[in-house]
Amino acid sequence: MSFRKILLKTTGADRILFLLLLSVSLAGIFFIKDIIPQSRSVLVEVNGKPVYILPIDKNRTLSVEGPAGNTIIEIKDRKVRITDSPCINKLCVKQGWITGGSIVCLPNRVVVTVGDKDRQKDGPDAITG
Amino acid sequence: MDTLVTITVVSASESKADKSIDDAFAAIEKLEKLLNFYFAESEISLINRNAGLSGVKVSSDVLRLIDKALYVSEKTQGSFDVTIGPLTSMYNFHKHIRPDDGKIREKLSLINYRDLLTDNAKSTVYLKRKGMLIDPGGITKGYAADRAVETLKKQGIHAGIVAIAGDIKVFGLKPDGKPWKIGIRNPDAKDDKDDVMATVELTDMAISTSGDYERYFISNGEKFHHLLDPKTGYPAGGCRSVTVIAKEGVFADAFATGIFILGPEKGMTVFNETGFSGMMIDSRGTTHITPDLRGKIEFQKNPS
Repeated sequence: MSFRKILLKTTGADRILFLLLLSVSLAGIFFIKDIIPQSRSVLVEVNGKPVYILPIDKNRTLSVEGPAGNTIIEIKDRKVRITDSPCINKLCVKQGWITGGSIVCLPNRVVVTVGDKDRQKDGPDAITG
Repeated sequence: MDTLVTITVVSASESKADKSIDDAFAAIEKLEKLLNFYFAESEISLINRNAGLSGVKVSSDVLRLIDKALYVSEKTQGSFDVTIGPLTSMYNFHKHIRPDDGKIREKLSLINYRDLLTDNAKSTVYLKRKGMLIDPGGITKGYAADRAVETLKKQGIHAGIVAIAGDIKVFGLKPDGKPWKIGIRNPDAKDDKDDVMATVELTDMAISTSGDYERYFISNGEKFHHLLDPKTGYPAGGCRSVTVIAKEGVFADAFATGIFILGPEKGMTVFNETGFSGMMIDSRGTTHITPDLRGKIEFQKNPS
C-alpha cells in the first residue's frame, strides 16, 4: 500500500489526530528541557571529602557534621544557602542564597558547591602559559 | 608590569584577606618601579645609563634579582641572558617591528652576562661596556610572585595563589584541603587563553610557561615571537612551549625562557641538572615531561 493510498483512506478526524500527536511530541522536547535538571547539582564536602551530591531542583534541608558541629544546608527553588553553622563569624550564613559557585565554611570545613556535575571538579584554579 | 595580576587568598576573615592582598599588590608595584626597563627612573635604567662608566648602588631586591639571573645564565649556557636589552629594545612586538639583520649582528656583541658584575658587599651593579643594557623582563614576574607570596605570608595568610600573567606561585591548600590545580595553556589555541592542554596539582611551588604563542607577529611569512636567542638575535625555534615547576618563582620564570631557547635536547638536560620538574612541547609537537611528573600531569581528553 503506497503512502498516497493510506492518505486517501484517512478521514478528517484521523488527520486532526495525527497533527495533534505530532504537536504534542514536538512540545515535549521543549517541556523536557525545562523540567530535566541539565545536570546541575549541589555538592557538599566536609574536610575535602564529598558527602552529598544532590539535585538542585528538589527542595530539602539537610544537616552535615563537621569538626565544629552541624552545618544546616537548605536547597529551595534551585537555590542553596547555609541556614545555620557552628562557626563564630557565620560568614557562610551571611553569604545567603547562591545559584552557582561555592559557599565555604572554613571553621567547620564545609564546602557547598553548585555547578555542572561534570565540570565542577575539573576547572583549574589558574592557568600558566 | 603591563600584565594581569590575580591574587587569591584563603582566610577566615575578609578584612584580613583584603589587607593582605592590598599589601601584596603594593609590593608588586614597588618592584615594578625598581625593575622596569622602559621607566627612566628605575634602578635598572640607572644601571643601564652608567654602563661602561661606573657601578650603581642598588636596593637589595635588584641585587638579588640580578644574582639569580646570573645563576640562570650559567645553568643555561647563556640562553637566558638578562643583558639581552640591546636586542629586545630593537624589536617591538606590539607594533610588529623587526630590526634589520645588520643591526642585529651589530648589537649581539653587547650581550654577555659575564660582563655584568655585582658586588654584594657594596650593593652595586656594573655593566662593563658602554651600550650594554639589562632587560629583566624574562625574570621580573617570577620574582614579583615570590615577593608577593612572602608579603601574604607575613600577613598571616596560609594559602593562596599569586598569578602574574602566566607566572604563578601557590602556597598552602585550598579550603577543601586539596592542592591547587594549575592548567597549562595549549600552544595551539589561537586566542583562547582558557584552552588548557593539561593540568597539574601543586602546593608551595611556582610554575611558569614560555610559549611561542604569547607575543608574536608574522613578517614575510616568518613567525617572530618574543623568546629571542641572545646568541643569534632571532626567535628560538626548537620549542613551542616550556613549563618549569620550581620552589622559587624567579627560577620557574627565567628557566622556562632559558630552556625554551636552548631547545629540546639541551633543554631537557637542564631539567635533569637542576632537578626542576617540567614539561616541554618541541617544535614537532612532541611532549617531553620530567620523570617525577609522570602520572601527575593530567592531560585533557580533547585538546582543540
